[in-house]
Amino acid sequence: MPSTQTPPLTGTAIDPPALRPPIDDAAIERIELADVHARLAELKREGFTLLLDVGAVDYPQRTPRFDVVYHLLNLRKTQRVRLLCGVQGNEPKLPTATDLWKSADWAEREIYDLFGINFEGHPDLRRIQMPNDWEGHPLRKDYPLRGPARERSPRPVFALKSNVQAGTPPSGRTLEALQRQIAGVRGEDPSK
Amino acid sequence: MSMSTTPLTPEIVSHEGNAMVLSMGPQHPSTHGVLQIMLEIEGETILKAEPEIGYLHTGIEKTAENLFWSQAQTVIERMDYLAPSSNAYCYCLAVEQLLGLTDRIPERARQIRVLQAELTRVASHCVWLGTHGIDLGALSAFFYCFDMREKILDLQEAAGGARMHPNYLRVGGVQADLPSGFMEQLDALMEMFPGRMRDLRGLLQSNPILQDRLVDVGIMTQEEAQDWSITGPGLRATGIAYDVRRAFPYGGYENYEFDIPTRTEGDSYARFLVRLDEMEQSMRIVRQVRDSLKPGPYAVDDTKVMPPPKETIALSMEALIHHFKIMTEGFRVPPGDVYQAVEGPRGELGYYVVSDGGNRPYRVRTRPPSMYNLQALKGLAPGNLIADLVVIIGSLDPVFGEVDR
Repeated sequence: MPSTQTPPLTGTAIDPPALRPPIDDAAIERIELADVHARLAELKREGFTLLLDVGAVDYPQRTPRFDVVYHLLNLRKTQRVRLLCGVQGNEPKLPTATDLWKSADWAEREIYDLFGINFEGHPDLRRIQMPNDWEGHPLRKDYPLRGPARERSPRPVFALKSNVQAGTPPSGRTLEALQRQIAGVRGEDPSK
Repeated sequence: MSMSTTPLTPEIVSHEGNAMVLSMGPQHPSTHGVLQIMLEIEGETILKAEPEIGYLHTGIEKTAENLFWSQAQTVIERMDYLAPSSNAYCYCLAVEQLLGLTDRIPERARQIRVLQAELTRVASHCVWLGTHGIDLGALSAFFYCFDMREKILDLQEAAGGARMHPNYLRVGGVQADLPSGFMEQLDALMEMFPGRMRDLRGLLQSNPILQDRLVDVGIMTQEEAQDWSITGPGLRATGIAYDVRRAFPYGGYENYEFDIPTRTEGDSYARFLVRLDEMEQSMRIVRQVRDSLKPGPYAVDDTKVMPPPKETIALSMEALIHHFKIMTEGFRVPPGDVYQAVEGPRGELGYYVVSDGGNRPYRVRTRPPSMYNLQALKGLAPGNLIADLVVIIGSLDPVFGEVDR
């Protein structure tokens, strides 16, 4: 009897936000890269005075590769707007929003750090979560979950008398080598 | 003070005159975790402050992308470790929106979630109040706060099985019904609460030393608060009554009566008072939930998302299969993106969740209120004394699990 084919468990949608009408209470706008700063400034003038968040999503199968997502809030009318801006994968860059909202500072630094997207005009664009000398951008989809293999720091080898007696030397050391080492420490002649 | 070490922020070392650079943290006790602040000071006065974060970065967003939808919740709860149920609540609401389950959640499950969310807010504010007091040298309030928090953690343990990260709220409802004896414990807490708040207000609120330290320190105007994207008690202390529970009601909050405490001063003392009032409003909601809680199902009747009750597994082949499928390969979520926000103890906590149709989240982007609140330190600290910086950090109430994720 043929076994039933189980469907692949990973998702197949290449551009999920484009597949569905909005289901939350935010108005959604898709903005071209060239217009994003002007549109943000316009929305701020309209009363969207809070830049709630700037996030990014990586869609490697899609052109443009990245989505930078702005969440804006209008306090007077209690309205939300979500701006999605596509950014190409090759040397990704975007104008900064720090001149409009101070709060964009860390959010943009985080996107730079974890996605490698540059924000032109940002006053202090450097890594924020990862160490300064880190290579790669961890939240990209092609970055492995466990990160690059790194050398383990060498473990100190202790020659314990009890280890020697039990015949269980630490890795890489023979029993004879340990016995010689202990004898050397004690000032005994190892040949005895 | 050594000047020869490699500067973390190059521009901050380019000081003039009598200014010097002081690195505060990341092991400083008043930084509430692992925050380093590079200070440029002249005497005791701060000229410039540059917070350095990332010491607690654990890659939760990346980890979540590699776990099932239900497993991801366990790491997401660990972001804001003082209010785990708030994070779980927000994530569950977001995933339920993608699944189209929002309107099918049973009333009892919605009520229990509100109850847990409000209890976790009180517990979180208890930690804030206790540690804020310690920062200022008021030790006794700490014991009263942590004693009350312990009662709430007991409730979390009774419901979910763990004190700190109960993982009790699930996509589709809650993990199990409230256990017997829970209501009696809750009643004991509600009975103790007013007297305990009276004690704490007596110890701290009307304390002239505390007022000396807090009043007019770290003043934020409404424009500054919006510029820095402050939400939660920080924004409400400037006079803007924005509360996600009222502005964008979710999970049945429109059914409960509560006030949004606001102040107009915008200083550390205003933030202090707003949080104290919030604790009382939260317990007001808890009381309403307690009084209106009716028996009924505690999770959505959809075995594709919610595993069937354990006791049915030995009796029904179908239940066994559903249980096995959910445990081994999780459930799938239709493609799409959604932004869901809740009012966490620190402000607007949001999740931007993207699904590509698989059994794992494609992307879980957090809107961490702590990070945005803490960022405002750059604007609030200059001009203050170093001792006042401790007060300002305390009044912003950052949690570094959430700032660094």
